[in-house]
Amino acid sequence: MTARLLPVASAARTRRSVGALVRPHRLLLVATVATLVAAAVAILAVPALLGRIVDVVVDGGAPGTVDLFALGILAALVLRALLAALGTVLVARLGELVLAGLRERVVRRALRLRLSDVERATSGDLLQRVGGDISVISEGVRQAVPMLVISALDVGLTLVGLALLDWRLALAGLVPLPIWILVTRWYVRVSGPLYAAERVAEGRRTQSLLAGVGGAATARAHGLRVPLLARIEGESAAAVRASMRAMRAQSTFGAVLNGAELTGVLALLVTGFWLVRADAVTVGAATAAVLYFLRLFDPIGALLYLLDEAQSAGAALARLVGVTDMPEPPAPEHPRLPRDASVRLTGIRHSYDGGPEVLHGVDLEIAAGERVAVVGPSGAGKTTLGAVLAGAQLPAAGTVEIGGVPLAALEQPRRHVAVVTQEVHVFAGTVADNLRLARPGASDAELTAALATVGAADLGLDEVVGDGGDELSATAAQQLALARLVLADPAVAVLDEATAEAGSAGARVLEVAADAALAGRTAVVIAHRLTQAAAADRVVVLDKGRIVESGPHAELVAAGGPYAALWAAWAGPRA
Amino acid sequence: MPPAPITAGSVLRGAARGRRRDVVAASLLVAGHQLSEAAVPVVVGVVIDLAVSTGDGTALLGGLGAVAAVFVVLATCAYFGYWLTVSTEKESAHAMRLDVAGRVLHPAGGAPGRSGELVSLAGSDADRAGLVCAAIVVGTAALAALVGGAVVLVSASLLLGLVVLAGVPLVLVASRLLAAPLVGRAEAEQATLAAATGVATDLVTGLRVVKGIGAEDAADAAYRRASRTALAARLSAVRFEGGYGAATGVITGVFLVVVAWVGGRLALDGTISVGELVAAVGLAQFLIGPLERLTGVGPLLAGARGSAARVAALLAAPPAVRAGTARLPADPAGALRVGPVEVAAGEHVGVVTLSPADAAALLDVLARDRDADDLVLDGADLAAVDLDDARRAVLVDRHDSALFEGTVGDNTGTDAAALAAAGADDVLDALPGGLAAELTERGRTLSGGQRQRLVLARALAAHAPVLVLHDPTTAVDAATEHRIAAGLSALRSGRTTLLLTSSPALLARCTRVLLVHEGAVVATGTHTELAADPRYRAAVLS
Repeated sequence: MTARLLPVASAARTRRSVGALVRPHRLLLVATVATLVAAAVAILAVPALLGRIVDVVVDGGAPGTVDLFALGILAALVLRALLAALGTVLVARLGELVLAGLRERVVRRALRLRLSDVERATSGDLLQRVGGDISVISEGVRQAVPMLVISALDVGLTLVGLALLDWRLALAGLVPLPIWILVTRWYVRVSGPLYAAERVAEGRRTQSLLAGVGGAATARAHGLRVPLLARIEGESAAAVRASMRAMRAQSTFGAVLNGAELTGVLALLVTGFWLVRADAVTVGAATAAVLYFLRLFDPIGALLYLLDEAQSAGAALARLVGVTDMPEPPAPEHPRLPRDASVRLTGIRHSYDGGPEVLHGVDLEIAAGERVAVVGPSGAGKTTLGAVLAGAQLPAAGTVEIGGVPLAALEQPRRHVAVVTQEVHVFAGTVADNLRLARPGASDAELTAALATVGAADLGLDEVVGDGGDELSATAAQQLALARLVLADPAVAVLDEATAEAGSAGARVLEVAADAALAGRTAVVIAHRLTQAAAADRVVVLDKGRIVESGPHAELVAAGGPYAALWAAWAGPRA
Repeated sequence: MPPAPITAGSVLRGAARGRRRDVVAASLLVAGHQLSEAAVPVVVGVVIDLAVSTGDGTALLGGLGAVAAVFVVLATCAYFGYWLTVSTEKESAHAMRLDVAGRVLHPAGGAPGRSGELVSLAGSDADRAGLVCAAIVVGTAALAALVGGAVVLVSASLLLGLVVLAGVPLVLVASRLLAAPLVGRAEAEQATLAAATGVATDLVTGLRVVKGIGAEDAADAAYRRASRTALAARLSAVRFEGGYGAATGVITGVFLVVVAWVGGRLALDGTISVGELVAAVGLAQFLIGPLERLTGVGPLLAGARGSAARVAALLAAPPAVRAGTARLPADPAGALRVGPVEVAAGEHVGVVTLSPADAAALLDVLARDRDADDLVLDGADLAAVDLDDARRAVLVDRHDSALFEGTVGDNTGTDAAALAAAGADDVLDALPGGLAAELTERGRTLSGGQRQRLVLARALAAHAPVLVLHDPTTAVDAATEHRIAAGLSALRSGRTTLLLTSSPALLARCTRVLLVHEGAVVATGTHTELAADPRYRAAVLS
C-alpha cells in the first residue's frame, strides 16, 4: 500500500468555505472595511499638504502658512494612526473569530473521519494539518491579513489622491499598472505550487525525523544509523531546495516590481516636468504626486511579502478545507435503539483499499452477554473482523447488526459498541482527563471505581500523564484503556490484542483486568493467549478470512480440529 | 586542549561561521539595497530642484538617468541579497538539524527528552536558530542604511539633519517602551495557542483510541475549550496591539510633522532647497525602517539564542555509555557473561524475569545502552570495545523494535532461511508484492503479529554471534509461535542465543532456562525441570 495524502480542496471550494465562515460576522466585516477606508483617506492628506508647503516655499509665502499646513499634517497623521489601529484590531478580531471557527471545524471533522480514510494516508498527514497548517494560518491571520488589507487600501486610495491633483498625473501613476497585473498573476500562479511543494517537502522531512528519533534504539542495535541519517539529510536538503525554489520566484517577482516602480517614478517626473512647464500644475502638486508614488513602495512591498504569506496560508487553508470536506459517516435517518446486546454479522467481506480480500464472507451470531474469543493465525483477519464489528471499518459487503439494528442505523453507535485497540495512546493531561474522554460527566468516585475495576487503583486521578507528563508502563496504559471501556459502558465490547503490547509479565495482569472490564457485556476478545480463549463462552477460529471452527473450548479441543492443534501448540509446553 | 563546551553561543557562532562568506556577501548586498532605497527620495528631490522647478530639459534627462541608475543598483542588490540571506538561513538550519539527528542517533546514546521534543529540536528549533544568519545580515544592512542616510541629511542641513537623527532614536525608544508590556502578553498568548495545537495533535495521534470508545464528542469538547482559551487570549492581545499601534503611529506622525515643519521653515528662509526638503521628509520616513529593523535584531537573536540553547543542551548531553576502542575478532565464538548470567558459546538460554525491571536492566546492559562492568564476550570486556563492534557481536532486538519506511525487503533483507524461521514467509504471502511491498511509517498497516515476524526476520538475518530476543512472539498465534520456536532453534543452532521471554514454546527449546529476580539468578534448569518451581509456574505457565 503506497502512502497517500488526504484530499486538498480546490481554490474555488476554499473560497466558498472561507466565505461561509465569514458570513456570521458580516457586521464586523462592514465596520472593519469602513474604518480601514477612513484610515487610508486620512493618510492621503499628508502628501497633499506637503505639496502645499512646497508651493508656499516656491511662491515665498508667509511662515505662518507653513505652520498651518504642518498642523494639518499632524491632524491627518494622528487621525490615521487611530483609525489604522482600530482597523487593525477589527481585522484581527474578524480573522481570529473566523480562524477559531475553522480550526474547530477541522478538528471536529478530523475526529469524525472514518478511520479507513485516515489510515489510507501517510500517518503524518492529518497531524501536519491539525498542527502545522493551523499554525501557518494563525500566523497569517495574525500578521498578513491586517497588513494586506491596509496596504491594499493605501495603494488604491493613493491612486485616487493622484487623480485629485491632476488626472494626467494619475495616468502617469498608472503606467506601471500592466506590469503589476501581469507579474502578480505570474507570481500567484507560479508560487502556489512552489509553496505547496515546500510544505510537502517539510512534511517529508518531519516524517524522516520521526522515523529517526522514534527508531533510534532500533537503529543503534541494527547499525542503521547511516541510512537513517542519510534519509534525514536527503529530506532536509530537499526541503531547503524547495524553499529556495520558492525564494527564487519571490526574488524575481521583487525585481520586476522594482522595474515597475522605476517606470512609475520616471513617468511621474516627466509628466510633472511637462505640466509644470505648461503651468498646468504647481511644483508643489508635482512634488506631492511623486511623494504619493514613493509612499506606495512600502505598501506594495508589504503586499509582495504578504502575498507570500497569503500563498502559504492559502496552501494550508486548502489542506484544511480538504479535511473539512472529507465525508463524515452519515447519520442514520431514523436512528434506532438496539433490542438487546446481541451481535449478528452476515456475509462480511472486506479488503483494504483494493488490496486482496481479507474476509471472505463471515457469518457470526453472538448472543447477548456471550463472550466469544476469536483466535487464528496472524493475518487471518481477526483485527479486521473486530474493526468491522465495531464500525471502524465499513465492510465491502455484508451487514453488522447490534440488537437487530444495522450499525449504520444505530442511534449513537458508540454507546452500544466500543473497541479497545492494539494501539494504546495515553492523552496528555491528568488520568482523570484521560478517563473522562469516555464519560465526560463522570464523578471522581466513578473514575476511581473504574480504575479499581481494572486493578489500577494505584493510579492517582490527578497524576499528569502522556506527552509532557509521567510515562506510564505499557501495562498501566492498557489498564487506563480498559478503565475507559468500563466508563464508556457499551453493551458490546471488542478487545483486540489488548494484552499483546504489555509483554508477558503484564499480560496476566491485563487478562484479569480485561475479564473485569468485560463483565456483563457481550464481548469479542481477539486472543493470542489461549487462556483467554479457554475462559470464553465460545471460541471462533478464523483462518485466511473464513471461520473454520466455532464452539466452546472443551468441545473444540475434543473435536481435534484446527483449534485443538492450536491449543496443543499453546498448552503443550505449559504442561 | 579539551574541546570547548557546547553552548548556545557556540552553536550560533558555528552556524554563522560555516557560511561566513555568504553572510558577508548578503550583508553587503542588502545594505546596498537599503542605501539605494534611501537614495531614491534624495535623487527625486534633486530632479525636482534642477529640472521640474526650472523647466530645464537637459537636466531632466540627466536626472532621469540618475534615477534609473539608482533603481538598477537597488533591484540587483535586492535580488541577490535576500536570496542569499534566506539561503544562509536555511543552510545553517539544515546543518544544525543534521547535528541534532546525528546526536540523537549517536551510538553512545543519551539524547535526553521525548521523541516529540527531539523532533521539534531538529525541526523548528533548528529553523529558529538558523535565523541568526538573517539577524546578522539585517543588522549590518540597517546600520549601513542609517549611516548613509545620516550623511546625506547632515550635508544638506546640519539643523535638519540633527532633528532627524535625534528624532529617529527617540521615536524608537518611545515605541519600545510602549511595546515592553506587550511582549510578555504575546508570549503568554502564543503559549495558549501552542497548547491548543498540542491538544489537537494529541487527539489525532490517539484517533483510534478516541474512536474506539466513541469519545469523539468529548475530545471535540476538549479541543474547543483549548481553542476558545487561545481565542480569548488572542483577542485581548489584539486590543493591546491596537493601542500600541495607535501610540506608535501618533509618535511617528509627530516626528514627521516636526521634520516637515522645520524643513518648510528652512526652505522658506532659503537655507535649503525644495529638493532638500523633499529629501529630508523622505529620509525621515525612510530611516525609521532601518532603525526598527536594527532594534528588531535583538528579539530575533534572543529567539535564535533560545533555540540554540536547547540544541546546545542536546549536543552537550553526556553519552549514555562510554565508547570503547578495542576491536573484536570478525566472528566471535559467543561465550557471554552479563552479571550473574553466564552463557557458553553456542548455547540457547532462556531468561525469565519475575519483574519487567529485571528484563529492562538486562536488555539495556546487553544492548550497550547502559554501562556495566560485567559484560564479557569471549573473555573480552565489552565496555572497552567499539560500540558498533559490540552491537554487531551482541545483537539485542527489543520487543518494541521499529520498522522503517521502505520495502519489506529493505527492512528484513532477503535471507530466505531467516524469513522462514521467523514465520515471515506467511507474512510475505499475504502482502501484495511480497518483499517489494512498501511499508508505511513504522509498519502501521501491518497487524501486530505481522510486524513482529518481520522484525524477528531482520534480527535473524543479521546472523549475529550472539542474538538477544525480547518477547519476540507475543503477538503471534500459538501455532505460528510453535513453528517459530522450531525454526529459531534450528537456524541459530550452534550460535549463542538469549531469549528473554515467558513463552513456554520458546523456553521449551532452550538448553537452559534461568529464573532471574532482582538482579540474581534464583533458579536454573531446563523448562521441564523448572516447571516444578512455583515462581516459574506463575511467570510462565499460568
